[in-house]
Amino acid sequence: MIVAALVLILSTALFFFYFQVTCQRILRRQFDREYFQSIANANRLEFPSLRKSLEEFGAPVDYSRLRMMLKCDFLALTYLLKNAANVNQRYSHDERLLILYFRWQFLSLAVRRLLRVGENKAILKLTAVLQYFANVVGQRVNAVKFGNLTAADYLLNL
Amino acid sequence: MGSSIVSYGLQYAGYLIEASLLLYLAGSRQRKGQASVVFYLGSLLALEAARGWALHAYGLSSWRYFYVYWSTDFLLVVSAFLLVCLFFRRACLHEEKMWRFARLLLVFVFLVVLGISGLIFSHNYSHLFTYFIVEFNQNLYFTCLVLNTLLYLLLQQIESTDDQLGLLVCGVGIQFAGPTAALALLHLTGGERFAQSITTSVMPICNLGMLLVWAYAIVCLRDKETKVARHKIPTLAEVTAESNF
Repeated sequence: MIVAALVLILSTALFFFYFQVTCQRILRRQFDREYFQSIANANRLEFPSLRKSLEEFGAPVDYSRLRMMLKCDFLALTYLLKNAANVNQRYSHDERLLILYFRWQFLSLAVRRLLRVGENKAILKLTAVLQYFANVVGQRVNAVKFGNLTAADYLLNL
Repeated sequence: MGSSIVSYGLQYAGYLIEASLLLYLAGSRQRKGQASVVFYLGSLLALEAARGWALHAYGLSSWRYFYVYWSTDFLLVVSAFLLVCLFFRRACLHEEKMWRFARLLLVFVFLVVLGISGLIFSHNYSHLFTYFIVEFNQNLYFTCLVLNTLLYLLLQQIESTDDQLGLLVCGVGIQFAGPTAALALLHLTGGERFAQSITTSVMPICNLGMLLVWAYAIVCLRDKETKVARHKIPTLAEVTAESNF
């Protein structure tokens, strides 16, 4: 009984560990340049400023506003992932996995908020996912030529 | 009914991805270092095909299907162990000293698992399939999970630059950890219905998860490497333009 309980605890922990490590490995992907800034500017996304303020000042932000900002950016970026310069109009496997990871981290943020442990770490992980999504959208838009339109112009006209 | 349909759907999606990955690797030019993946995918497909054939030929409640099922389960766990061994070999490709130690450790662990399972079998000599194989499979499966985690730590320790291997190991970790947890839960609850339904759905989900991570590691990482490699090589026109002719 004790051995089975130990195996259950250990293997559940390892499952979540491998899930997290896989997502972080995908997030480590290098893009040929930083596309996310232009995408964030064109869509008035707030995650770059949020990340900057956390990294530079470590300042606590109003929690309900922070949740709203992250959620709005997530919805905008997942919409763009699916519809902007995406011929198949569907998410790839890694994007689906990262969407699941974002939701998991979003839930963990609420728990960390309750326990008051490592809140900023969770926020940085969430912004890392958003940055990755913005980079993917930017790369896709950049790969398609739309006359003289820049990536930002294209997205504003979408 | 609904959950079993979903479970079958996930299972067939898994077969499809296994076959597609094998075909992709067969058609791919860069086969170096992929022997472990080809071996495991091949054994998964072959053993699942054998099970399917036995089910079709003998029926679910027959003894023959029972023997085929547990024999293939035994072979699947052994091939999972061999996969971990091959991953260790790939990780220690340039670390001969480390590989010698890892090889000894792997052999020792296998013998220990065999010994413990044999000890249990010696008390129930007449039940080869119900005691020895089940016990051996459970022990070796959990051992594979632990060894895979050791391999992951080893990759961090030696600061391996093999990104593909890192992702392959993570995929295997998902495949081993999920079912192990589900089986432990089943054991703890004494086969309760909710634990059974969790086990039925967790196994194909984790298998599918591993295959998707592997597909990403094999297809996407290779594409990126190829693109980077192509980007580095200048064309003849560029070379001519840059020279001062």
